[in-house]
Amino acid sequence: MSAIAKEQELVSSAPKERVKWVAYLKRYWQLYVLLFLPMLYLLVFKYVPMKYVLIAFKKYSIVQSIGEMPWADNHGMQYFIQAFQNKDFVNALRNTIVLNLLDLVIGFPIPIIFALILNELAFKRFKKVVQTIAYMPHFLSWVIIYGLAIQLFTPTSGLVNMFITKLGGQAIPFLNDPGKWVGTYIFLGIWQSFGWNSIIYLAAMAGISPELYEAASVDGAGRFSKMWHITLPGIRGTIVVLLVMALGNIIGSGFDRPFALQNNLVMQNAEVISTFVYKNGIKGLQFSLTTAVGLFQSIVGVVFLLFANWLARKLGERGIW
Amino acid sequence: MKRRIAAIILACTTAFSLTACASKADVTAKAANVEENEIVDGKFKETKHITVEVYDRGNDGGSDPTNNMYTEYIKKGMLEDHNVDVDFVAVPRWTETEEINNLLAAGTAPDVCLTYSYPTIQTYANMGGVLDLKPMLDEHGDELKNLNDWLGDTNIYWDLDMQTNNLWAIEGKRANARRIITYMRKDWLDKLGLEEPTNKDEFYKCICAFRDNAKELLGDDADKMVPFSISYDVGWRAALLIESDMDPDITDKEFYVNGFDDRKLLQNGTKEAIKTLNEWYHENLLWNDFALYSAGDSTEDDMMKAGYVGAFQHNWDYPFRNGDDSIQSNLQRMVGEDAKYVAVDCFENSKGDTLKFVDSTAGDRKIFFPATNKEPLASLMYLDWISAPEHIQYLQIGDKGVTHNELDDGAVEVIAAEGDAIMNSGNNTDYTITCNGLHLDTEEKTLLSTAHSYSPCDPADVEQAIEYSEKDMKHSVNVKTPEIKSETGMSETLGAKRDVIYDTAIVADPAEFDKVWDDGIADYLSAGGQAIIDERKSAFESVYGSSENIDK
Repeated sequence: MSAIAKEQELVSSAPKERVKWVAYLKRYWQLYVLLFLPMLYLLVFKYVPMKYVLIAFKKYSIVQSIGEMPWADNHGMQYFIQAFQNKDFVNALRNTIVLNLLDLVIGFPIPIIFALILNELAFKRFKKVVQTIAYMPHFLSWVIIYGLAIQLFTPTSGLVNMFITKLGGQAIPFLNDPGKWVGTYIFLGIWQSFGWNSIIYLAAMAGISPELYEAASVDGAGRFSKMWHITLPGIRGTIVVLLVMALGNIIGSGFDRPFALQNNLVMQNAEVISTFVYKNGIKGLQFSLTTAVGLFQSIVGVVFLLFANWLARKLGERGIW
Repeated sequence: MKRRIAAIILACTTAFSLTACASKADVTAKAANVEENEIVDGKFKETKHITVEVYDRGNDGGSDPTNNMYTEYIKKGMLEDHNVDVDFVAVPRWTETEEINNLLAAGTAPDVCLTYSYPTIQTYANMGGVLDLKPMLDEHGDELKNLNDWLGDTNIYWDLDMQTNNLWAIEGKRANARRIITYMRKDWLDKLGLEEPTNKDEFYKCICAFRDNAKELLGDDADKMVPFSISYDVGWRAALLIESDMDPDITDKEFYVNGFDDRKLLQNGTKEAIKTLNEWYHENLLWNDFALYSAGDSTEDDMMKAGYVGAFQHNWDYPFRNGDDSIQSNLQRMVGEDAKYVAVDCFENSKGDTLKFVDSTAGDRKIFFPATNKEPLASLMYLDWISAPEHIQYLQIGDKGVTHNELDDGAVEVIAAEGDAIMNSGNNTDYTITCNGLHLDTEEKTLLSTAHSYSPCDPADVEQAIEYSEKDMKHSVNVKTPEIKSETGMSETLGAKRDVIYDTAIVADPAEFDKVWDDGIADYLSAGGQAIIDERKSAFESVYGSSENIDK
């Protein structure tokens, strides 16, 4: 009996909704089997471990199971209270927000501008070369980038500072002054990612109908008005989606970048939540405290994401969902 | 048919993932009961299997720390003497605390673990993650002859909690108490017509002379000159300077109460010493970039090897370590035959002594058994075996003709080994976990051999370092207080704060120094430092009453 015939048989003999579901399963079962493994992966490695967020509300012990651990004081909120009474955590929270905001304000528009410029290049081969060079830093690990930064920016042996001092200037403490470090941090972040991040905008631009440009030319539009009235509106949806995602990440932070770039002299500005969690949790064995911090971070992240998405939809954009 | 195969695959993957979850449950299993073990003539009837932690130092051209001539020797010996099969687990030396944390948390820590950090052990013990050694030693202690002979009750019971009668760790023993000494470029002193300094003032003049004559000493590389080098661990790398500013008559009580930080952050006089470093920093006597490189980075060593560094303080044998790859050998290869570091002893305190605060025989590596250790008796036997004098000696000097020669005066001279016989750590200290430092059959031979154990470095230079580093030692005493609860989990956090305070204070604008230091200390105290001081104070008073010093 062919699959289609079977499907028809099912349709006639059971309630409609249920049948549809089962029929799909039967008809495309190979695809569902393929889907099964990734789903299992998500379940085992992403969902099952979630039960361990309970550690944030319990007194952690390496030898007890999660059920056996005693509840923390203050109705399980002990570690959240402790975190917010901890000056280092509050400082790390501040740094995380400030660094991420700077990244957003300065770093977000740059790939868009870069993509716009690339899009306007007439000489295709040159465009490709520029694009490739701009992508490259994305593939470097932060440890290597810090190595490069040391070679370039240290006060005594850094290439840039040697150049400055040879010209009679004063060496600039790019890496060891807390204020200047922030600049270096943002700069390196942008340098590492702007090429890569521009790909998605270039893809969106490729999807804009050439007819629009032709029509605009006929109407006498110049390059800038075409960019402003066609290209930018054409990628607006993409920009909004990426902006919503970036806002959702405003309190989150990668670990590699701050950890690789920070040093003792700039810790007041460089300690962020992820490095705080590493130092106090994994190195300092305060697992409950740092799980509480991580949970707080995730919840605020979700709230931001929902808010940004809601705002986007309110403003007439599609948002993420 | 196809569908059936798919079903089987699915069933298998599900079963697999379930077993993966289930195996976690074993982690909580308590250690096996030792009574089941049957021993005949010191040998288990059934072969036991244990795993032992060994540091991986990642040396260039070193041997595999888990599989070389020495691990083979240990494995063979343990199997023959006790019928215990030993496997080694490599743990990176420079991140050992983090690594052991991870292994313990995952329930996969080796059966015999070691660390320099007692608070780490205490934290895990409080969570129930460490085996109590007291009952086992009560039962089997007498049989462990080598362990008793070598460590004695002092080291075995050093960490015994008087209140709870728990013993979470055994202290490995230092064969000698030499700790830190100052090194200086002898050839530079000669070139500038200077004597080896004998006090702080002369030392300061010497490093100023290095700075002022950089052109003559380094030529085109004059801008690379570092007259006195410190790096990421300032408390270690300026220890003698700090100690020289401390009160030489400090009482045991004060030293203990303010002594949670082993880099002496809170001791009297430390601020003065760091202020000196602050001045030196702004006079271009220090390495400007010192704070940008983290633990384990070899940049500073490379600068010493390349001959840019005039003086530094470090482990008493630091420039001689690693045979052909030692700082001294590299320096002579790169700069010239006459270039060398020599030990100097010039950081005098208010009494005029060059007093050095050193540890007692304990306070070095601590050995503990995690709760996942199912063979505590076999593990204790391992400690006993590894403490036997003949085994220590073999591991430290290896085979005649391969790793050492015997000299006419009876000294043992270590020679550069190859391949499997290369020692990754000086005298294989990573394997002789109960013994740190050369320990041969007689003391005289040990001292003579120590000087010869750094080939190709000149034994006379080593002897000078031994002499200076052993001069005016102040041994620390064992303060037997109950557990200080407020210390739990704080060593990493406060240690990181300490380093930040040291580094930021050294580079601070001299006018701002006091503020930076005081703010840093205030932050340190409020983050848990004060609570530790208070608890230590009351714990000391509860045990020793009103006395300021402990009778030795």
